[in-house]
Amino acid sequence: MSLFKRVRHGKNKPIGQPDKPDVLPSLQQTLDEFKDCIDLVHRTMPEIQVEFVYFGHLVGSDPFTREIAVPFSSISADEVPSLLARTQYVETQSAKHLIKEILDGAVAIFYGGKCYVVNVYKPDNRSIEQSETEAVITGPHDSFIETAEVNLSLIRQRVKSSHLKVMKYEVGEVTKTDVYVLYIDRITNMGYVRELSRRIQNIEIDAVHDGNMLVQYIDDHPNSVFPLFPTTERTDAAVSKLVSGRVLAIVDGSPSVISAPASFFEFFSSPDDYYQRWMLGTATRLLRFSAFIITIAFTALYVSVTTFHYEMIPEDLLLTLTESRSRVPFPPIYEALLLETTIELLREAGARLPTKIGQTIGIVGGIVIGQAAVQAGLTSNILIIAVASSAIASFVIPSYVMSASIRLIRFALIILAGMLGNMGLIMGMALVVIHLSGLTSLQSSYLTPVAPGRFKDWRDVFIRAPFWMLKERPTQSKSPNEMKNKMKE
Amino acid sequence: MVKEKLYPFHIGILIYMTQTGVLVLSLPRMLAETFGYNGWLALPILAAVASLNIGLIAIVHRMGKGKSIFSILESALHKAVLFPLYAALSAVWALTGCMTAKNYVYIFQMLSFNTTHPMLFKALLDILIYLLMIKGIYNISKASTSFFWMIQWMLLLLIFFVKDFSWVRMTPFFFKGGTDVLKGGMSVFTAFLGYELSILLFPYSDSNKKVMRAVFAGHLFTTFNYIVLSFICFGFFSFEQLKKLMYPVIDLLSYIQLPFIERVENLLFAFFLFSTVATVVMYLWAAQESMRQMMPGVPQKLLAFIIVTASFIVSWVPDTLVEVGKWLEYLGNASSGIAFALPMLLILILLIKKGAKL
Repeated sequence: MSLFKRVRHGKNKPIGQPDKPDVLPSLQQTLDEFKDCIDLVHRTMPEIQVEFVYFGHLVGSDPFTREIAVPFSSISADEVPSLLARTQYVETQSAKHLIKEILDGAVAIFYGGKCYVVNVYKPDNRSIEQSETEAVITGPHDSFIETAEVNLSLIRQRVKSSHLKVMKYEVGEVTKTDVYVLYIDRITNMGYVRELSRRIQNIEIDAVHDGNMLVQYIDDHPNSVFPLFPTTERTDAAVSKLVSGRVLAIVDGSPSVISAPASFFEFFSSPDDYYQRWMLGTATRLLRFSAFIITIAFTALYVSVTTFHYEMIPEDLLLTLTESRSRVPFPPIYEALLLETTIELLREAGARLPTKIGQTIGIVGGIVIGQAAVQAGLTSNILIIAVASSAIASFVIPSYVMSASIRLIRFALIILAGMLGNMGLIMGMALVVIHLSGLTSLQSSYLTPVAPGRFKDWRDVFIRAPFWMLKERPTQSKSPNEMKNKMKE
Repeated sequence: MVKEKLYPFHIGILIYMTQTGVLVLSLPRMLAETFGYNGWLALPILAAVASLNIGLIAIVHRMGKGKSIFSILESALHKAVLFPLYAALSAVWALTGCMTAKNYVYIFQMLSFNTTHPMLFKALLDILIYLLMIKGIYNISKASTSFFWMIQWMLLLLIFFVKDFSWVRMTPFFFKGGTDVLKGGMSVFTAFLGYELSILLFPYSDSNKKVMRAVFAGHLFTTFNYIVLSFICFGFFSFEQLKKLMYPVIDLLSYIQLPFIERVENLLFAFFLFSTVATVVMYLWAAQESMRQMMPGVPQKLLAFIIVTASFIVSWVPDTLVEVGKWLEYLGNASSGIAFALPMLLILILLIKKGAKL
């Protein structure tokens, strides 16, 4: 608690940093620094006068055996200096650096008043599995996990190029979370790399727990409802973005990899599009954009028409609608908001519960609430169709974060439609467009390729053109190598 | 990162969106009233006049090497002379913008929400306009481009009328049965206005020849749309009917029937909000640019707020659609005057300066 008080009162002492000036490392000083850390391991080999300090759960048994256990147990005291002369044992003369290395999974070796570190970091991590949030039918099923090193290896396995560059930064004054910035030299615009690195370095916070959290510290418009940088758990998606000239950021401890810059329309594409025949890919993309329109406007249009514009309903349909609404005692806006809120409650409950109970929630929601609400005269059948269609359509959007943003906007449009009819709906849409037009992602227009208009990019945004037509990288990447099928030099 | 500039495509769309406003709804009627039978054929003539005007602006662009018109003016004329000019420009442009918005609100209220106070809608519209205006010209152009795609699909709706289009209604008469051609012609000409604001875009665009080509392309696209729409109206409605319909395009849209929806004119008219917002924002932005020269220290957002608030207050004055129409007619004439006079004044200044150098 006292840590946070210090932040609130604006004192300039950095949290977690030693207050003392940097000194030469010593065993006692190191042990003092980690006082009360019962997970710290301190081992002594009196026969060769070497002492080791490390965190047992951060080091891997294999590298520990290879770098520490075997070499040090098989030598005599006079052989220690020659052993420590090997390149993997790095002498450190900074106490701060030593502390950092130990926290990063290194073993500190104290010998003859000197201190060496050797990196044997191998934390426990879960196995590589399929992403639950970004499932695909065809294509690779592996996805990122919470360990940045594993995630890096997954990318390196797919991009076997010396041009793939990785930079490492540290974020979080307490957590010291590693953030890796990845780009492909000669494909990625270095302006983007510099800008993203600058923003990551400027973050001042005690902890970063996830990639989706980090993006909120680095995006251009933190107050926007829209996500400005896409995050993905899919390895193939991340690599495709990398190759198309985007910059990636991997946060240690998070399976969500950030890519930047991005456009609004990028959130509607999925790796699946490329693994199917182009016509199917195109149809799916068009379906997603239709889903976007349905999500955002269908319920609002229902509210608008049934509140103010009954004349728009053809006679045959009007009878059905009137019959359906005759028992409903509320104005359409209340009816719609009630049902939309229920759907959101169901969705949130379903997301938090284990899969099997989640199914029960679906049944309870679908049958009990849906049917009972109509029979009780609280809502009309047609509204249930509208709300359910909107909800289903929102789940068609591949990005969960974007889908959630759009669902939130839908509420605003329903309220506007309930107040001002069709004009309210259109005003709401205009407001969304005005907001979108002001957004940028890493200083590049969020509405690319619509505004600014880049028609050649439309082939890979609104449709998924055949691969022979997709020869150029997206204009938004501003890549020094625009062509995909040849590299300069 | 390089600062974004207006590309020719943006400029073309921006000009098209500024030109296209609610006047298009009554354009076929105005053509029929003014020019008589086959009045739509007057459109290419009026478009040619506007093209001449664009030609004048292109000369300014070339002679001034893409410099801001304000810097050209200030290099030759004293501030004391320029102040009234800037004030007049700001007033005409701001009023044109605000009356266009009020006109839209009144037409909308003919269709629905008849009893609601029009200024409530005007206030909401002004909020939208203000929010876009403060984002600057580059974002205005981006929003206009998005609005363009959100409205342009409506051109495809004209396919609905192909079946009921009759060549007989076109008649073999040309420009018979018209009224005051000069006065009416000037009114119809105001439908093309909006291109004159391109003169303010010079400093924001790439200073190359494509800028003026884009302005011209935008204007041509407006002309094409007007011609297609008016042609369909002349072939769909009889001449006498066309003269009696106040907003023939709305009547045209109300004809569309789909199995699950009809009387779509209500919804489709709402889509014209996009082009109205684009038009009004551009006029108010132009007023802001002009005012900025008078008050260089005032922050942009405050200036925008002052203009939007002032135009909102002024729009209380006319309280019927007819009055708004009259205001728009006077303002349209004033804007047309500015459209021709301003480039000519600039050319004169540039010529004199060139002569002085020689």
